[in-house]
Amino acid sequence: MRLRALLFAFVVLVIGACSSIDCPVENQVFTVYGVYSGEEVDTLHDTLYVWSKRSDGKDTLLLNRGVNLSNFFLPISNQHPEDILIFLVADTAGHYTLDTVWIKKEDIPHFESVDCNPTFFHRLTSVRSTHRGIDTITINRSSVEYETTSSTAHFHIDFKARR
Amino acid sequence: MLMLLTTLGVGAQGFLKFQKDSIPMFRGFAVSFDLVGAAQKLLSDHGQYEGALRLNLHDQYFPIVEVGYGYANHEKDEVTDISYKTSAPYFRLGVDVNVMKKKHTGNRVYVGARYGYTSYKVDVSRPTYSDPTWGWQTNYGVSNEPCKQSWTEFLFGVDAKILGPLHLGWSARYKFRLSHDDGIIGKTWYVPGYGLQDTSSLNATFNVIIDI
Repeated sequence: MRLRALLFAFVVLVIGACSSIDCPVENQVFTVYGVYSGEEVDTLHDTLYVWSKRSDGKDTLLLNRGVNLSNFFLPISNQHPEDILIFLVADTAGHYTLDTVWIKKEDIPHFESVDCNPTFFHRLTSVRSTHRGIDTITINRSSVEYETTSSTAHFHIDFKARR
Repeated sequence: MLMLLTTLGVGAQGFLKFQKDSIPMFRGFAVSFDLVGAAQKLLSDHGQYEGALRLNLHDQYFPIVEVGYGYANHEKDEVTDISYKTSAPYFRLGVDVNVMKKKHTGNRVYVGARYGYTSYKVDVSRPTYSDPTWGWQTNYGVSNEPCKQSWTEFLFGVDAKILGPLHLGWSARYKFRLSHDDGIIGKTWYVPGYGLQDTSSLNATFNVIIDI
């Protein structure tokens, strides 16, 4: 009889079972740029703007008026094979330099659960730029996943001599 | 199985010895069918059909093989629009130990352990959507992505004799993932035989058991 009561208790337990949603709290995928001078971490005192061209042909501003930057963060496209970014560095005297950066990557769909929004991780395969204001830009870490503002830089960017 | 028996033997000296009485060691087989997985399959978007063959050694030890077929078909989630589909067989091997003092009454209280394994393929898809920054069209998903997982389970269960060879029983199972390969997509959702993906989970079975 006791065992039959246990059987009944089990059925009640199963009916009352609940589920939970476990999506990661830190779920932003973006790229981290570290400003370097040679091997040393540097600070860009001039003002940096970065933008790109949307699929509809209109410009979209990705970084507005970045000043005193030792690192900065930029989005990465979900699935476009190559991201093209325009970097504008302006000083207080009104001089500016304009560079184009091309980033190639592989895109990997990332799945957490049916309850969590879809994301893409990436593997950076190459980066190149023009060299008006940018001296060098290199890939430091190729894997782009869930990132935080303290993540290791994906790119090391070295700007040419400036104030 | 051998590791489990060794562990039990070390944990409690003499625990594995058969009780001395006139009852023969081989007491037959039992087949069982899990109603919880079947109900899940009928009432929700995932579940499994599962049966088991159990050997009765002196009403004390019950080596068991559980085989099943797990399904998930989650169509276009109402929040994320993600669809998830998989179906694959799985198996578990293990042993139950009847811990009741009077072992030959037909009613049993078990503790047990299992090793489970499945190899499965998943389809994950979502309707095309726009990249939030650039507006490019994004095709998200994978098709026939091969995955596999092994796990272990520790269980507590009860088995009550109802009528003749018919028993009803339930078990509560704590599952630990041992190894997993979720393919390129990072994680999976429903794993056949394990349930919803996590490092560990608590599940239950409700079994109709027939002695043969």
